[in-house]
Amino acid sequence: MAIVEGRTPPPQPSPTRGERVDDQPASQPTVDLHVEIGVNAKLPLVMKNPVMVASGTFGYGVEYARIIDIERLGAICSKGITDRPRRGNRGPRIVETPAGMLNAIGLQNIGIDKVIRQKAPIWARWGVPVVVNIAGDTVEEFAYMASRLEGVPGVAGIELNISCPNVWEGGRVVGEDASTVAAITDAVRVRTGLPIIVKLSPQVADLHGVAHAAEDSGADAISLINTFVGMVIDIRTATPVLSNVTGGLSGPAIRPLAVWLTYSVSQVVSIPVIGLGGIATVEDAVEFIEAGAAAVQVGTATFADPTTAVRIADELPAALARLGATSLADVVGRAHPARRARG
Amino acid sequence: MRLFTARVTGNEEIMPKTHIITLDAGTNARMATPGRFIHIQCGGATLLRRPMSVYRAEDDTIELMIRNVGEGSGWITRRRPGDDLDCLGPLGRGFHLDRNARNLLMVGGGYGVAPLVGLAEQAVAQGMNVALAVGAATARYIFPSRLLPDAVEYLVATDDGSVGHAGFVTNLVPERLAWAEAVYACGPVPMMHALASIMWTQAPAKPGQIAMEERMGCAMGVCLGCCIETTKGPLRTCTEGPVFDIKQIVWRNEPTPVRAELGEPAGAVNGHR
Repeated sequence: MAIVEGRTPPPQPSPTRGERVDDQPASQPTVDLHVEIGVNAKLPLVMKNPVMVASGTFGYGVEYARIIDIERLGAICSKGITDRPRRGNRGPRIVETPAGMLNAIGLQNIGIDKVIRQKAPIWARWGVPVVVNIAGDTVEEFAYMASRLEGVPGVAGIELNISCPNVWEGGRVVGEDASTVAAITDAVRVRTGLPIIVKLSPQVADLHGVAHAAEDSGADAISLINTFVGMVIDIRTATPVLSNVTGGLSGPAIRPLAVWLTYSVSQVVSIPVIGLGGIATVEDAVEFIEAGAAAVQVGTATFADPTTAVRIADELPAALARLGATSLADVVGRAHPARRARG
Repeated sequence: MRLFTARVTGNEEIMPKTHIITLDAGTNARMATPGRFIHIQCGGATLLRRPMSVYRAEDDTIELMIRNVGEGSGWITRRRPGDDLDCLGPLGRGFHLDRNARNLLMVGGGYGVAPLVGLAEQAVAQGMNVALAVGAATARYIFPSRLLPDAVEYLVATDDGSVGHAGFVTNLVPERLAWAEAVYACGPVPMMHALASIMWTQAPAKPGQIAMEERMGCAMGVCLGCCIETTKGPLRTCTEGPVFDIKQIVWRNEPTPVRAELGEPAGAVNGHR
């Protein structure tokens, strides 16, 4: 993987194959959008812009590659994978809710062997880095998967899914507990030179404690937030709509919660925070960046409009230029009290 | 399969709350075969697109038969000629007509008849014999026979006996099963489960294709929200379906269907609310 030196502007994106995303804005303002995650990792994650697509909303990348120009994205986070293939939960697995949706997929995935054999070789040919999201039931499973991914061409980073709300007994998520987060991050850190992103659940008693645990154990970045646990009842039958009873709430409904937690956590850790939760427009992305996000992830909005993330990436330079910025860094955390005091 | 904008050119209410929406879809219509679907962005407070089964397609035109069962489907049924629809599709695997079959039995429940009409037209045009059995809560919700080719034999069942057989449409199947060389179906899951049981006991070797309904998210095979249990493991209704081999489905005991206002469980063939 090429490491971009200094602050050179990213190469112009290639023309798209898609239908509605053909037109680049005629003149792009020169705003440096490039982001590096894991500056101290052996192989930093270098992104041409801060717009990523969130795990679980973009499959293994190959599906949407048929209709949008994925090369214009900052990075792709894969579907959460486990050491063995998983069948996932029975249906119904999703239900729409006001300004959002619940999902309880149950980590259905093809397993790490097939990911390495079938998907990584495809990713290796792409100009967009792919971060593999891994989930496990034990520290050892996380460690095993990290060692399997080490040195695999096409894998540009690891996102630790310590916060999937759908697969742990009783709705408990492993990321609730700072010591477990530390143990997982630690075990992965010693086995990989790839950048490690720890994805946090919003539903923990001490989010700052969990974030610190990840940082102190060698995480290169934190992504937040994963979904909130919720449920919908069919009132005619008095039964839960989802077969799993509960599911993870995503979409614009959770955006203010996610903005707040991005704002809060980014002020107490020194590693980059990647913000996500209901981002659907470039204004939403800028809001997260001002809240302290060094990068953002687009998730549920992609289901409604597959071009969302590419469009945000295209529109971001102009949106940041309107704020008087010449680089992304000028805007990251601009809403923080310390930054505002400096003016 | 692609993103495209389709212009509404017609909107006819053929049954209560059930509209045929005609779209100028350009070349996208060529791939819109019966059983496939278009994923449509609806207005109002909807977030996700709604999967709408192709009713008929011809030249540059796609016709959808949509029942107003919720916010998304209701929004589409209020579109007028000249309005544009934001479409993704055509998506999914449609019905496959077996060229060696001469006699086809089609079974539709409620608005599940939608993809079977276009399929029946194709079969008749190829010289096949088609018996189409449809069921609904009451006569007002029986698909109008004037919209079917004359050559199609039309069998009707209603829950209240207001027209045709009084009872489930699947009660009409046994007497036709020996005649039919292939079976095609679309409707509520309990109906298709009943059909599968009848075929399993009376004609286990007979080929059957059914269009399944499930709530959908992306419809691109990404979110895995629409997976159903099959003999091959969980398969995506959006990409490996919606049409499946009837013997492939792993059925479970559905809760007793609760009859909503229009006699359908609030289902997903035509939008999931």
